[in-house]
Amino acid sequence: MKSKKIFALTMACMMGIGAFAGCAKKKDSITNFKMFACMPGKEINDGNRIQEEIAKLTGVRVKETWLTGQTATEAVGSIVASGDLPDFIDGGDGSDALYEAGVLVAWDDYLAKPEYANLKEMYSDKEWEMFRKADGKIYWANVFQNTYGESKATGHNDEAFWIQVRVLEWAGYPKIETLDEYFDLLERYYNENKENADGTKIIPYTALCDDWRYFCIENAPEFLDGYPNDGSVIVNLTDYDKPTIVDYNTTPTAKRYFAKLNEVYNKGLMDPNFAIQTYDEYMAKLSTGAVLGMCDQWWDFAFTVNDQFKASGFDELGYNYIPLGLTIDKGMVNHWHTYGDTLNAASGCAVTTSCKDPDKAFTFLNRLLDQDMLNLRFWGQEGTDYLVDENGLFYRTQEMRDNWADATYQANNVCAYSYMPQYGGTSRDGKNAMTPAEQTSEFFATLATPLVKCFEAYGYTTYGDFLGSPVEEMGFWFPMYSYSNNMSTNTKGGVAWIKMGECKHEYLPKVVMASDFESAWADYMEAYAACKPEDFLAEMQTELDRRVEMGKSA
Amino acid sequence: MSLMNPSAPALKEKTTKAEIKRQSVLLIIAALYVVYGIIFYYLPLVGWLMAFQTYTLKGGIFGSEWVGLKWFKFLFTDDTFVRIIRNTLAMGVINLVATTVTAIGFAILLSEVKNIWGKKLVQTISYLPHFLSWIVVTSIVHEAFSTEGMINELLVNLHILKTPISFFSHTQYFWPIVAISNVWKETGWNAIIYLATITSIDPSLYEAAAMDGAGRWQKIKHITFPGLRSTIIILLIMNIGNVINAGFEVQYLLGNGLLQSVSQTIDIYVLKYGVGKMNYSLGTAAGVFKTFVSMTLIFLFNFIAKKTGDERLF
Amino acid sequence: MNGKNEKKKSMMSGWDWAFVICNTTFLVLFCVVTLYPILNTLAVSFNDGLDAVKGGIHLIPRKFSLRAYDAVIHKQGLQQGAIVTVARTVIGTLLALVANALLAFVVSRRRFLFRSSLSFFWVVTMYASGGMIPGLILMKNLHLTNTFLVYIIPGLVSAFNVLVLRTYMESLPDSYEESAQLDGAGYMRIFVSIISPLCKPVYATVALFVAVGHWNSWFDAMLYNRNRTELTTLQYELQKYLNSVMQTQGNTSSSGKTSSSSQVTPVTVRAAASIVTMLPIIMLYPFLQRYFVTGLTIGGVKE
Repeated sequence: MKSKKIFALTMACMMGIGAFAGCAKKKDSITNFKMFACMPGKEINDGNRIQEEIAKLTGVRVKETWLTGQTATEAVGSIVASGDLPDFIDGGDGSDALYEAGVLVAWDDYLAKPEYANLKEMYSDKEWEMFRKADGKIYWANVFQNTYGESKATGHNDEAFWIQVRVLEWAGYPKIETLDEYFDLLERYYNENKENADGTKIIPYTALCDDWRYFCIENAPEFLDGYPNDGSVIVNLTDYDKPTIVDYNTTPTAKRYFAKLNEVYNKGLMDPNFAIQTYDEYMAKLSTGAVLGMCDQWWDFAFTVNDQFKASGFDELGYNYIPLGLTIDKGMVNHWHTYGDTLNAASGCAVTTSCKDPDKAFTFLNRLLDQDMLNLRFWGQEGTDYLVDENGLFYRTQEMRDNWADATYQANNVCAYSYMPQYGGTSRDGKNAMTPAEQTSEFFATLATPLVKCFEAYGYTTYGDFLGSPVEEMGFWFPMYSYSNNMSTNTKGGVAWIKMGECKHEYLPKVVMASDFESAWADYMEAYAACKPEDFLAEMQTELDRRVEMGKSA
Repeated sequence: MSLMNPSAPALKEKTTKAEIKRQSVLLIIAALYVVYGIIFYYLPLVGWLMAFQTYTLKGGIFGSEWVGLKWFKFLFTDDTFVRIIRNTLAMGVINLVATTVTAIGFAILLSEVKNIWGKKLVQTISYLPHFLSWIVVTSIVHEAFSTEGMINELLVNLHILKTPISFFSHTQYFWPIVAISNVWKETGWNAIIYLATITSIDPSLYEAAAMDGAGRWQKIKHITFPGLRSTIIILLIMNIGNVINAGFEVQYLLGNGLLQSVSQTIDIYVLKYGVGKMNYSLGTAAGVFKTFVSMTLIFLFNFIAKKTGDERLF
Repeated sequence: MNGKNEKKKSMMSGWDWAFVICNTTFLVLFCVVTLYPILNTLAVSFNDGLDAVKGGIHLIPRKFSLRAYDAVIHKQGLQQGAIVTVARTVIGTLLALVANALLAFVVSRRRFLFRSSLSFFWVVTMYASGGMIPGLILMKNLHLTNTFLVYIIPGLVSAFNVLVLRTYMESLPDSYEESAQLDGAGYMRIFVSIISPLCKPVYATVALFVAVGHWNSWFDAMLYNRNRTELTTLQYELQKYLNSVMQTQGNTSSSGKTSSSSQVTPVTVRAAASIVTMLPIIMLYPFLQRYFVTGLTIGGVKE
């Protein structure tokens, strides 16, 4: 008995020692940096083909780690407290805390030097001003939604009222512009089609209310009034020099929208379980092709659902979703689709004071923006990951596409350094898109027949066309959610913001399911007023004024 | 706490000295444990200072702005928080009672099984759900209690219900569902401790009782149960201190907007208002409050146990 | 043995029979109910990822696939994590058992002078915690961060386990200790050769608690050893993987970077990861189980 225990113990010790010994890092001339991003992400494997290729060309290898089981605030708090910072960090919602803790290296000196021209080129002077913190310096650059040259975007990656393409086909591809027309179409289709071909019962409309994803039911009023996605508020531009904050929860449009949902619910057109479904259950419903329409962000459902439809052959039955740019009344301009880039200056890629060689770190970031690096990161290696046709256009074979969609393959062969400086839009060669997803030929190559028919019927070439939003630059303050996302409960406004969220979580489903809409709405408005939304709005107004001032001075 | 017994002081002093000598080994060991405990458990309590500050990463624990009782005031003037204390305590107590009763019941019933193989098999199966994460368990629970789920199907088929109930739309079902989930996941696991205790009961007691013609129920009542008594009481007192930690994951995963008035617990509140919103101090204040509640409950129940002459914690 | 059983059988009354039947039925039902989630998880884990998203899988996979296991098992770092986890489970459990048992022995001695105050000292540690950041700063100052020891030392003594052990030790008759003391045995000898052998069932219980705790832990790996990838644990690797599969990023939406990998979905990976971590620790159980199912013939004090 005893000898057994001792044996086990020795074994364990040896294993423990083996655990340490087995990890002596191989020495090479490459500098190894670490990066932490305050969001969940995919860790890539050591020895990743593209990562090694980039290391060979730049002399730098970056080990990325991601948020696991903590909130961004917790992660930032613990990393700063441990004093053990990675070389690069994207603090996400915790970015301001990093700045306040004084652990970031300012970009200003680098942006001023010609060797870092690529970094400087990322944004216009005016845009860089947005990143400036209270001490007058710039500490990070957001790497997303940054278009180089002409936009090649073919998708609508934002929110919309979505409708299955078969419904549009059934109705002869009508133009659907208002909320009423939308539900009317769903109702007419549903009256004649109660079941899918495989016997699944059709659900004309559903709205996810799960946790933070309740935007699916919550924020439509701001769009229906024609405003863009400022996230938490409407910015009223009646006086362009002095824009004001408007609460979209209490507008007449909000009331009309929820009254409509209430009507639809009571007609039995709405999923009876909409309020209690979990995200998993929602995805399950969409995956069966049973749901004709919903309001959602593209990224919230499309990855899984589109793959699912393709795998089940549902894409050929017309189950795929088309985005619609609805407004509350006819003839209004909508901003469901925003052209140009949405600059979220509240977070981004930063270099920390723990980095032993910040010059090298910035040189690396700068180098990553060279075209050969961008191609490696998003297209891969020529011949292996993509081919080039006689016109110089990049394309992929089906096998290459499948590989790049495979998780294990990705871990070993794809290294996008996705939270480091990058571009969308047109490649510097002027022909290709920066990323395969935006390559027009790649886009149409993957489109199912009913979708192609629909695009042709309307004469559209991108999903954005379906929304019909005007092509215009967003104001300097846009988007306001970059502020509200980072509000703290240290302020009254921050507390009000949480309470408003809790109140809406509880009352919006009640309002929709009420048998007497008017009294339910009155209850809701009373509970909502008790959350002191005015505190929140006042704080948002202050931030808006600040941004407007900055915009004027820049 | 009460180490002295009221005997004659002179005599006591003498015994104490002799005792110290006799117990020197125990005292040295105890001292080592105290040092360990102070370093790893008591030293970090310096962090409680954060509850009286507006903690910033820059300032750290000793350089942040002092705000006195601001965060405690914040908590107790917030209607939500008061409701959340109610939810936490209610679910804590319901879960405690439900899991304790089922674990003890299961241990006793299992100990009555004479077939060793059957017994081992049942026990192995019973403790498996403990290893599933809450996200897996709650997704099964959510499905089972849905309007098309098995529970509704069963109730309708048994004619207990006419039409299915939407369990997750009505606040009154939430606490029982959380309790059922806990029981389902943890009964077998919690029973282990009781099973181990039952094995320490002298088998000759059962034999003697059988000789006296005691039936099964009497044996359980007069031998098994008293044998378990001290374990039950100790665990009960310890767990009573934990009713304030009613959980986070179950409620978070099973709850929804319609249920939040009954589903939110202190831990969820702390995540929402504190650590999720750049406010480290608020979370610490809530933690200090929880410790205060726990210790009060422990003292109370330890005192009661002492009075009734039962086993006690300290 | 046989003869005894027969005698018992013949003595069983009608009520006893009723009880046995009810009890058996109940326990069988109980098993069915508790086995369901496991079988369901198994079925999901062996199902095609994309197909599993549709839900509605109960006991049998609808579209068989090993991809989830393939993906989980081939996660880089998993092997290293498994080695560290096994090491910390074995070392941590043995050391913790000794540490907890010794303290429990001390506080269960009836004559020990600080019996009550030492218990109280430890009871407090169950309910008072300084929080994550102070803990991290402490570990850093003790130079425990980025070491294997941070898995072992901080959690060595747990008041809960000590109290469970103490309760059991207190239930043992005093006579053993007294007679040993008359023989001139010191406290340490009483602990090692008299109390410990009697405590096997409760030792097995506590060992199981500690081992399962070690087996499942990953938060300490993330918090204290973030920068030492070779000190990762099994569960931390699985958590990271699960997180990455669940990733759907608003921020990255503007491009196809987050190209989907639909063969593995959170639903199946979660299930496969559960099974992968569950199996080894379940195998430990039969070895410990004999101590608290079969029972000891304590009356005769053997060994």
